Amino acid sequence: MSQVETMSESPAAPVTIGDVAVQQAPAAEAFDVRGRDVVFDVQDVTVSYDDDPAVSDVSMKIYKNLVTAIIGPSGCGKSTFIRCFNRMNDLIPSARVDGLIDYHGTDLYGSSVDPVEVRMRIGMVFQKPNPFPKSIYDNVAFGPRVLGMKDDLSGRVQRALEQAALWDEVKDRLKRNALSLSGGQQQRLCIARALAVEPEVILMDEPASSLDPIATTRIEDLMHGLKENYTIVIVTHNMQQAARVADMTAFFSVETAADGAARTGILVEYDSTKRIFTQPSDKRTEDYVTGRFG
Amino acid sequence: MRTGFQEELDRVEGLLQEEGALVLRSLRGAVNAVQENDHELSDEVIAFDDEVDRRYVQIEEGIQLLLARQTPVATDLRLVLAMLHINLHLERMADYCVTIAKLTKLAPEVDPNPRLLEGFEEMGSRAEEMIRVALDSFERRDLAGAESLVDLDELIDRANRRVVEQLLALGAEPELREYGLRMVLVSRALERIGDHAVDIGEQTAYLLTAEFREFTDASHPTPREA
Repeated sequence: MSQVETMSESPAAPVTIGDVAVQQAPAAEAFDVRGRDVVFDVQDVTVSYDDDPAVSDVSMKIYKNLVTAIIGPSGCGKSTFIRCFNRMNDLIPSARVDGLIDYHGTDLYGSSVDPVEVRMRIGMVFQKPNPFPKSIYDNVAFGPRVLGMKDDLSGRVQRALEQAALWDEVKDRLKRNALSLSGGQQQRLCIARALAVEPEVILMDEPASSLDPIATTRIEDLMHGLKENYTIVIVTHNMQQAARVADMTAFFSVETAADGAARTGILVEYDSTKRIFTQPSDKRTEDYVTGRFG
Repeated sequence: MRTGFQEELDRVEGLLQEEGALVLRSLRGAVNAVQENDHELSDEVIAFDDEVDRRYVQIEEGIQLLLARQTPVATDLRLVLAMLHINLHLERMADYCVTIAKLTKLAPEVDPNPRLLEGFEEMGSRAEEMIRVALDSFERRDLAGAESLVDLDELIDRANRRVVEQLLALGAEPELREYGLRMVLVSRALERIGDHAVDIGEQTAYLLTAEFREFTDASHPTPREA
């Protein structure tokens, strides 16, 4: 696996032409993950269904306030992997997670960890918008109510809708059924619902794949704004979407075991998005992003 | 595998090589014209530039479409960007050939100076060789070949200095002074063609290494160049 990019050059020396000091252009935009807070430290994680590994031996760090994209062909285990971050795989009886997911120093799968609290801190948005058949307001208020966040509930709902860039479109019809919204609006409502409990991390599994290009752009713009306050991990099969929104990109692929029997997902390369899309270090990544495979 | 995409990349690269072959013809014409003071040939060189410009526009359009429709990344992106630059460098080389042809027509007729003509012949041959090396090393994705252009450039630079010295020694009569002035610019144009060949080599190196790098830096010369 390639080293995460660590470019940080000393500022260029000032230049003068005659008496005029010339501001030198900064070196190409450096991207430095050193010193960034690590939210998840994933170590040798393997997820199996009925003892068949769906994704094997993944180690990577997810950094705070960045958008991290996971890309790869169908069957590479990217959705399985992202579901580890808020223990969604617990809901599948045959699923088993081995290895360590360290969340701020706590083993996410430790016996004392309450999965409900995990999902409060680590929200998730799915491929198809899945609002409850309730009012717009009740959808967003659902999480806070369940968790007993009663103070200033309507203020909390408004903030979440504002952060999800939906407030202006729905502020006059908060009592209307959420299912009356368009697909793109429903997806932003689901994002607002995730934001309402003020999580630290938002996981997005193909959040725009059922949306039209304009609704997709709105979700992408939203991610750009949200990363100031949240850490975002997104699974996408749309490589250009990863190139547009992500700071870091992980490429997963499918590998056939030596005996040829089992196929399992592996992490091939994890680096800054800039490098993945301009100068990937692994031939398999190059072949995938240039469309020569997968 | 994106077949259509690869075909389009190959097509644009093919046009680039064609453009390079046209530049070589234009250069040979311009060098012959200046050596023989042939105004008719000069006019042909000037008119021939339209052929180069036609290729230039075709390549520009091809690259525009590639960027708009195929969203190239990684090696493909570097290839497209390199072709964008190489196209411009080739077009500028052809413009220098036109400049030489125009200067030939403007220069007063003087008795040919054999050593000067030899100097132009040397510079013309060196410029041709540099264009060939630049195009071949790009086609073969040959980093060492591309880097060898730096040494070839040193040779054409030296030839340029020799030609300029001879021109300075021509004499003070107004006609010779005007001739000398025009011919300094001809020599300069040939020398600049060599610089553009080096720039093409740099694009080849970028394609192969993904690093933006000047082979030599005129504002920070190494002792050898100073």
